[in-house]
Amino acid sequence: MPARSRRRGRWWAIGVAVAVGALLAFLGLPLASLVIRVPPGVLWARLLTPASLAALRLSLVTSVLSTLAVVALGLPAAYVLATRPFRGRRVLEVLVELPMVLPPTVAGIGLLLAFGRAGLAGRVLGWFGLSIPFTTLAVVLAQLFVSCPFFIAAATAGLREVDGRYADAAATLRADPGHAFRRVLLPLALPSVVAGAAMSWARALGEFGATIMFAGNLPGRTQTLPLAVYMGLQTDLESAVALSVLLLILSFTVLLGLRLAHRTPRVPWLGRAAGGGR
Amino acid sequence: MLRAAVAKRRGAFALDVAVEAAAGAVLVVVGESGAGKTTLLRLLAGLDAPDTGRIAVEGRVWFDASAGVAVPPWEREIGFVAQDYALFPHLTVRDNVAFGVRAQGLPRREARARADAALERMGVGALAPRRPAELSGGQQQRVALARATVTEPRLLLLDEPLSALDLGSRQAVRGELRSLLAQLACATVFVTHSPVDATVFGDTIAVIESGALTQVGARDELLRHPRSPYVATLLGVNLLRGTLIGRETGGVAHVRTAEGLLAVADPGVDGDVYVTVNPQEITLSPEPPAGSAQNVFRGAVLEIVPEPPAGDRVRVALATSPPLVAEVTRQAVDALGLRPGMPVHASFKATGVKAYR
Repeated sequence: MPARSRRRGRWWAIGVAVAVGALLAFLGLPLASLVIRVPPGVLWARLLTPASLAALRLSLVTSVLSTLAVVALGLPAAYVLATRPFRGRRVLEVLVELPMVLPPTVAGIGLLLAFGRAGLAGRVLGWFGLSIPFTTLAVVLAQLFVSCPFFIAAATAGLREVDGRYADAAATLRADPGHAFRRVLLPLALPSVVAGAAMSWARALGEFGATIMFAGNLPGRTQTLPLAVYMGLQTDLESAVALSVLLLILSFTVLLGLRLAHRTPRVPWLGRAAGGGR
Repeated sequence: MLRAAVAKRRGAFALDVAVEAAAGAVLVVVGESGAGKTTLLRLLAGLDAPDTGRIAVEGRVWFDASAGVAVPPWEREIGFVAQDYALFPHLTVRDNVAFGVRAQGLPRREARARADAALERMGVGALAPRRPAELSGGQQQRVALARATVTEPRLLLLDEPLSALDLGSRQAVRGELRSLLAQLACATVFVTHSPVDATVFGDTIAVIESGALTQVGARDELLRHPRSPYVATLLGVNLLRGTLIGRETGGVAHVRTAEGLLAVADPGVDGDVYVTVNPQEITLSPEPPAGSAQNVFRGAVLEIVPEPPAGDRVRVALATSPPLVAEVTRQAVDALGLRPGMPVHASFKATGVKAYR
């Protein structure tokens, strides 16, 4: 009997190892292929072409702008979702989460229909001679649309985890809700808020579908890194690979940084604030 | 001066109390956990809203259900010390204490100076640059008190301020806290489950049981004339309610309780009275007593519990009607062979029974 159960245990371990190995190979192979395809010297040269640099610059500017907008608009939403019980909160939560699972192309069409010449907002803007589609602003809006759920989800969770005793203490110490938010709630939830902003930035940096639908593919104005990769695939594979490797490194760095920050809190209270009692 | 009458229902629990506390005085609200003490404090602080009632401090109305007034906590000018102190973990001790005056709009430098002075007064000035996580329970308690009082509140609310401390520091802090509260100009409401703290701190003591005040009074009055089962249990006396139905010569009166007649020392009043029987006045015997005791009740021994500290006195719970607790010596227990289930006679003289309105 024990021999049989030992044998079973061994088969189980082998099965798990094979499955995990297969998954790692599947995920790792394309990434490894990217890295080994082109020699580093060539990669570097391709990154320094004017077209690549323009895409990189545009990507950095737009993703930083959209992340700032996500924080500015998302923080109040996260605050409301985390602290106020109200009718229809679930609906609002789903609405805010929706862009996370929505195909970006659908988001792009929606944005185009809203801000296009005949769109609801587009018509109003047209009265002032403004047109958003196919501009750099459109790139930022597309990134804002698809990346805000990542920030709001993380910030809401972080704010919700701050112990209610601290909010109560602040209120009894003359702090109106705004003061309490700035001095108590936000500092205690800061690790989650920063993590959410970083996730949101990484998502904005990789945004493709909504951008190409809503902003087009104009080099220097709306052609971000992912779009440049797509174009490169048809004309200049080495450039496409170089930009892909760059995006890969940026994404990997952000995720790794978040993991490390969570494992080794820099401030003594981070552990308590982030995981504190409910 | 605090005047409050508030009611709040939450599920099956209902709180309905009226309390008053003079400026400079300490009102202790004492009761078991779950009796509604913390709920009362949260209503006074404005952290929760009463269903009905009115709260006024020094003539300012903080809450009035019928007038639609509900001042938010940050405008109430209170000091609040939560049970576990809730010091902000991301701020230094100094900035914790400065928080309230900063929120009032004082510039940072001035606020920090005020905080340092408050910490100095509490004897913990050296802790100013530390973080709360580095402090002991007693130090946290002093910092929390400094934080709550540095804003010069009109009402100080303390939720079990000593219960988070270990026994050793509790003794020391009790004395300090008492002298601190004596210096304060504002009214203080202090809730506790500890009868010791209630008698140490309370100028006035209010007993809360299941969301209602069962007895309110000055400490001495409360201890001399218990009117609630809680206080009677605390003092270890038998408390009964009844009606005075007549008196005879020799200073003896008769009281009818729900469970029988009692001969009591004539209280000089009529009508409904409280009656206390000191357990030490009760004599136990297997046979009906031959002596002059006017009150004799028969019943089985329920339980025999040694009394601290030495245990040479023993409390004997009896299944008499009304139920009584007697206190006898251990030798008496041995001599009588007392054990649970044994039928005995409990007798006591009318002069050992105190009646009052």
